[in-house]
Amino acid sequence: MELGDALVQLGKFIGAGLAMGIGAIGPGVGEGNIGAKAMEAMARQPELIGTLTTRMLLAMAVTESTGLYSLVIAFMILLVG
Amino acid sequence: MKIQLTKFDKILLGFIIAGYLAILVYIFATGYHFPKLGDDVGQRWIYQLPFGNSLLSRVNPMTIFMSWAIMIGLITFAASIKVFTVIPGKKQSLIEMLLDYLLGLTKDAVQKEEFVRPTFNIAATLFLFIFIANVISGIPGIQAVPRNGGVVFTIFEDTWYTPTSDLNTNATFAVMVLIISHAFAIKAKGFGKWLKGFFEPFPIMFPMNLIGELAKPVSHSLRLFGNIMGGGLLVLIISYLTKYFLMPTFLWGFFGIFVGSIQALVFTILAIAYIGSVIE
Repeated sequence: MELGDALVQLGKFIGAGLAMGIGAIGPGVGEGNIGAKAMEAMARQPELIGTLTTRMLLAMAVTESTGLYSLVIAFMILLVG
Repeated sequence: MKIQLTKFDKILLGFIIAGYLAILVYIFATGYHFPKLGDDVGQRWIYQLPFGNSLLSRVNPMTIFMSWAIMIGLITFAASIKVFTVIPGKKQSLIEMLLDYLLGLTKDAVQKEEFVRPTFNIAATLFLFIFIANVISGIPGIQAVPRNGGVVFTIFEDTWYTPTSDLNTNATFAVMVLIISHAFAIKAKGFGKWLKGFFEPFPIMFPMNLIGELAKPVSHSLRLFGNIMGGGLLVLIISYLTKYFLMPTFLWGFFGIFVGSIQALVFTILAIAYIGSVIE
């Protein structure tokens, strides 16, 4: 393998790792917040657990999307081209 | 609670375990081809039409086949419960529950009475199609993989090919929702008022509002695409790490059925919210 190709490979792996690692911070914090608040609400009003769980999962799915963008970018760096 | 197994249960359980072991022995003895990372993962079967040489003359045949298969399946299912009775059967109560929930969501989000019904039709259609498409990505089935320069049809090596793991399908739906929402807005408010909505707080905000509208379909489509496509690739990666000793079935169940149904609901709710926010 030429030095240039090796450098390209190096850049690809570092880039994919950074994209996924930094991109996972935001959704992690966000989903933690959603989970904590949902737990508080459920403890306050246990009769609403069914509704709150559905809403919590929905909000988590929306929050997750920024992390998924970085996942897509990481896969594109690794697998495409 | 103590679990009690009858004789029939024990025999059934024995058959299931024997079948699982037989499949494992068959797989490891016959050199079954596993999808490998960097080999054919993330590749698609792309067909070049005989005329033209541009991007528009290339199609993705599996997306078209599976979309039509899902549509025909849904239409067949709908035709099978044409007669609605006062005392609902199993299928009818399932459909009624689902559509009632979606209608409630639509009524909450869309304030104008005359637009509830069209919005609900669009949302329910989107939900049914995307839900079926996502759930079959959790069930083993037929997939077309480009391998060694040709195309190989594989059965039970991977899940069914799902049209929502192709960005073309999701982007089409998202752009469709954008265009429909603005058509509804023009119909509801009139052209002048709709145009004025872009200059809302002050005229200097026009570029912001325009970019905000155009960014909607991007995030809308990429959310679904990233979940389904990323889920499928993650299943392959986790299975590859354990050298396929662990059957990826429960991963397919999680990423295909659980995440898939939530994402179908999220896509539908966002479509309703976009339409509802624009026509107010």
